[in-house]
Amino acid sequence: MRASKHILILGLAVLIVAGAAALPAQLIAQTGTEKSSSESPGSNAARWIVQVDKVDPGDVDLTSSFQIAIYENLLDELSKTKRFKHVFRDGDRGASEVPDLLILKTAVRTYTAGSETRRAVTTVSGATKLTVRSQLCTRDGQVVLERTVNGNVRFFGSNLRATHNLARNVAKAIQQAQLQQPGVPAPVQSGQL
Amino acid sequence: MNPTAIQSKYLADGYLCAFYLALGLLLLLIGCSTVFAQDASSPTTSPFSAHATHLLGFEGARGNAGGTLSIEGDVLHFQKPGKPVVGIKIASVRDVVLGEQSKQVGGLPMTLGTAAVPYGGGRVVSLFAHKKYDTVTLEYGDANGGFHGAIFQMNKGQGSTLRDQLAARGVHVTPNEVEPAKQSTAEVASESK
Repeated sequence: MRASKHILILGLAVLIVAGAAALPAQLIAQTGTEKSSSESPGSNAARWIVQVDKVDPGDVDLTSSFQIAIYENLLDELSKTKRFKHVFRDGDRGASEVPDLLILKTAVRTYTAGSETRRAVTTVSGATKLTVRSQLCTRDGQVVLERTVNGNVRFFGSNLRATHNLARNVAKAIQQAQLQQPGVPAPVQSGQL
Repeated sequence: MNPTAIQSKYLADGYLCAFYLALGLLLLLIGCSTVFAQDASSPTTSPFSAHATHLLGFEGARGNAGGTLSIEGDVLHFQKPGKPVVGIKIASVRDVVLGEQSKQVGGLPMTLGTAAVPYGGGRVVSLFAHKKYDTVTLEYGDANGGFHGAIFQMNKGQGSTLRDQLAARGVHVTPNEVEPAKQSTAEVASESK
């Protein structure tokens, strides 16, 4: 009687240990499938090659340093997403021979000049705000993706940090969008981030 | 002992001492003049050299890195201490824009420190812990024709020196950029509708 009780306890312990070992493996498998399903929407975008055009300030009185900072940060952030085979700079002669090329056009819509000092002293005022319209176009001018994106600095950081936040948001918007395969006519996707 | 002989011996020793002293001073003077001559000749080999913070965009240099920005011959160099020199040909620079920026001194530790001061005392510290800097924005092209932009932050006055040095070498200079006044955000509201 006593021996069977021991066997029962031992069996239960083995079951608990086996269950504990199996659970993390199941969790890993679940996250793995979630990951693969979240990656699938834009995986075909890796076939495209993108060229980043210079920032168009439009009618907005945006300083040259801000335009350059947006442009350079966009190049950085788009490279980090790994959604494109290659990221070309504006004017790069290598892009002229590429067939599957998308051109990223960025036009500044609004800009509110902030002040780092005012942010530090008042906390609630002095924010730097940027809003741009980003368009991904094919070489023949067809718009594949269009987004209006914001980039702000409200509390900490220099004014130029707004350009970094903006570029990150643009890259995020492109990463989340479903881009059609090259050669297939795509409906225009528009929205705001 | 003849007192006259003793007196003349001391006199001869005194002259000898003064002679050696004068010789030593002369040698010291020659040594100093050689050192100063070397210092004076160094600017002719490097007409511009100043400490700068590379904010972004200079090919091969890390962002937000402090180092020395110098002009040597027809090349603009940037070197972070302990790192290899990176540079671009001055002929590839298409435009230079000088701007101005006010930043809090002390970086992130200072920001966190002022935030930790009780009774809002940090705001008062922030009000006086700001310094004005020159920002130099360079636009240049690479070997493939790709457009690049780089932004450097320098001590007040040094930015204009660099701009003048580059202008003397035939680089196009855009008049100083001025931070625009606060703009209306009405357009943002209409965009988001």
